[in-house]
Amino acid sequence: MADPLTARLKQLIVETLRLEDVAPAEIPDTEPLIGGGLSLDSIDALELVVRLEKEFGIKIASSEEARRALANVAALADFIRERGDPSRLPS
Amino acid sequence: MADPAAPVRVAACGCITPFGDAAATHTALLRGECALRPVRILGREGGDAVPMALLPGRSLDETTPPEWVAAIRRLHGSIPDGDWGSPGRPVFVTGSNFGVGGLYALRRTGDASFASWSALPTCTERVRAELGWGPDVSIVSHACVSAHLGLLLATRVISERLADDALVLSFDFLSPFVAGGFHALKILNADFPAPYRVRDSGAIGLGDGAGFAVLSRGRGDWTLSCQSLHNEMYHFTSNRSDGSGFARCLEPVAAAARGRRVWFKGHGTGTLEAGQLEVGAAERAFPGAPIVGWKGSLGHTLGSCGIVELAIAIESVRAGRTPGTIGGAGRAMGHSVALESFENGSFDGVVCASNAFGGAHAAFLLCHG
Repeated sequence: MADPLTARLKQLIVETLRLEDVAPAEIPDTEPLIGGGLSLDSIDALELVVRLEKEFGIKIASSEEARRALANVAALADFIRERGDPSRLPS
Repeated sequence: MADPAAPVRVAACGCITPFGDAAATHTALLRGECALRPVRILGREGGDAVPMALLPGRSLDETTPPEWVAAIRRLHGSIPDGDWGSPGRPVFVTGSNFGVGGLYALRRTGDASFASWSALPTCTERVRAELGWGPDVSIVSHACVSAHLGLLLATRVISERLADDALVLSFDFLSPFVAGGFHALKILNADFPAPYRVRDSGAIGLGDGAGFAVLSRGRGDWTLSCQSLHNEMYHFTSNRSDGSGFARCLEPVAAAARGRRVWFKGHGTGTLEAGQLEVGAAERAFPGAPIVGWKGSLGHTLGSCGIVELAIAIESVRAGRTPGTIGGAGRAMGHSVALESFENGSFDGVVCASNAFGGAHAAFLLCHG
């Protein structure tokens, strides 16, 4: 069974970035988000970060930290578990 | 009547920063002073504290008329008198964001008085009327190379004998909207900028700034040679990772500077990738030239930085001493980065460079005499 946080993140990526041809389940956990198969760029990253900060109450301090957090879906989930508001995590 | 064959020169140049005019700013930079302070990003509405250098007494919050109008009036006092805004003496107003703070305030508060300060043309018209210029005023805005573009256009109208003199006025004053944009990109964050320093994460500061340059045919002690502009058209917020955009812009300037001993006034905002690419390109184009950047103290004055830093470069040559890179202490991105101030009497040129969103690059060679 899919991890609820990972599933929610994939859904958010598709919604926020309006990826019309991508189903959330098709996004691999470990493929790079920026510069990978999804062809996301820094503006996409900006939109995603704003959405993630609102939804999970995380704070990303710098562009380098954003890049590390957005390395892939698994890394992003780890970052949110570590830094996010536990009450906002999907169960 | 000016000699039509005479070269275009800088007849006058000045600026305003939180330290004061160009001379006061140069003195403060030599002392290693930092104008940046932690400021709440949304002004009175709070938010994270990030490094910003505001003019003394100015708050980040928008007002009508904007508080920065007083600074423009003050700067205007040091611009040589003339029939500015007439066909023979056109004005180029340059900046990257003036007006947008008012637009945001209008949207947020519904206060209609912000409307007349909420767009580039309306802002410029208000400034034009305030300073008593004629109608021949053009607006040039191209992010953080706006001032360079204004200087080039002014040079061209004089070179083409469409004018005898031209005034380039450049200003950018901060607002919550502008600060918020950079903060959303995470390059404006709680850390203070350390231009050209190797560290784990990058950070910029933002600063209020305004400056002017009067270009003239044959009058003046300074020449701007080989004004180079190049846009790599790669991506809105990033450069080609091989640094080719920086290199392309500097190539013609390096050719013009051949045989001269120059120092390099870089853009140096404090971001890591762009800083490294800039230092690499500058060291290849100008081997041995000391590299300095002043945004670690003044913050990035955005569209006005090209003229603000030109005025400080001129002051440095006049005074015989160049301020080092403020905030850069530690391991530098290249061996040519000068952290300390240095005597510049043995140099015979300054390369001034700026870069902008969208992969835009600008540089020129400043020479005395």
